[in-house]
Amino acid sequence: MKTREALAVLARHRGDAIVVCALGMAANEWWAVTRSEDSFYMHGGMGFAASFALGLATALPHVPVWVLNSDGSLSMNLGCLLTEAGQQPGNLKHFVVDNQSYQTVDTMPMVNQDNADYAAIARGAGIRQVATIDNLADLEKMTPPIVAAPGPYFIRLRVESEPDYQRAPPATYEGPEMKYRFGRALEKKLGIKVFGPRGF
Amino acid sequence: MDANERIHAQLVKAGVTLAASLPDDWVNGLIRRVTAGNEIRHIRVGREAETIAICAGAFFGGVRSVAIMGNTGLFTCTGEMATLCLRHMIPVFCIVSARGSIDDHKVYQEVQGRRTVPLLQAYDFPYQVIDQQDDIERIPDAYEWHRLQKRPFILFLTKRLLGVKNA
Repeated sequence: MKTREALAVLARHRGDAIVVCALGMAANEWWAVTRSEDSFYMHGGMGFAASFALGLATALPHVPVWVLNSDGSLSMNLGCLLTEAGQQPGNLKHFVVDNQSYQTVDTMPMVNQDNADYAAIARGAGIRQVATIDNLADLEKMTPPIVAAPGPYFIRLRVESEPDYQRAPPATYEGPEMKYRFGRALEKKLGIKVFGPRGF
Repeated sequence: MDANERIHAQLVKAGVTLAASLPDDWVNGLIRRVTAGNEIRHIRVGREAETIAICAGAFFGGVRSVAIMGNTGLFTCTGEMATLCLRHMIPVFCIVSARGSIDDHKVYQEVQGRRTVPLLQAYDFPYQVIDQQDDIERIPDAYEWHRLQKRPFILFLTKRLLGVKNA
């Protein structure tokens, strides 16, 4: 299973979920598949997409929130699983693209490559619902019940490392524009106020 | 009314409904006050940088939040404050103990006492110090001000303000 194929399956089952993407491959591939502005594409804070998503999910308890994390990012902040488990957010799904490498930096190997079981780590942290999916047929079959289930739910997407990976271009906007496009998209979609009457 | 009670009241007045924290001797009283009530939802974290990202995410949910931590914790999350919050111009309101001050004689706080302000200045993170109870009422103003600054803002609480003993 390749990353883009996996994310294309998730995109078809996304529904109304707001999506937070870890920087790098997860963000770039989600943009390539969806072109969605009601997704936040991290450009920094490596390791903290899951924490950002937890804050968003806590603020919007009736809105489904997904985080598309990566193994490299998760490894920088494994403690986020403890925090997530401590809150038990019913609206949060935590997907991790596990390709055993730092795909966007010359496919350099991950720490403890091939031996780490992030689903087991998540379960050990206190997230009761976890799954590892390593092929598209299972992903197609398992995604609808995962989406329908209350969170938190941790899903490890075991994908192929792609040594000849052709890097997908990132979203065509960034920095402050990312803030305003995402915030305005949520205001429009959810009828909430992110920004004040004077725009900040 | 003690300082923590007044700080909590002013946070509520500012519209804060979410807090993320990691303990430090000096801010533990405030964390306990937050958790004792139901006006502000509280998230315990395992590393201070999580509070920054949690508050950044909550911002996009239209929720006003606060990150509470010790000065040492602030040191550990400046990278995330820069690459997430400066990068995207996301305001995050931080309440931080002013450890390493002249009345703080814990040796492991001495670097923080000397280098915190230069560090914040290097990143261009604005900050204010609250040392007297009367100034606690400025928190709602500070909250509005930090939103228009569009970046992390640090409100330092001093040992004298918090009435901390033996810490």
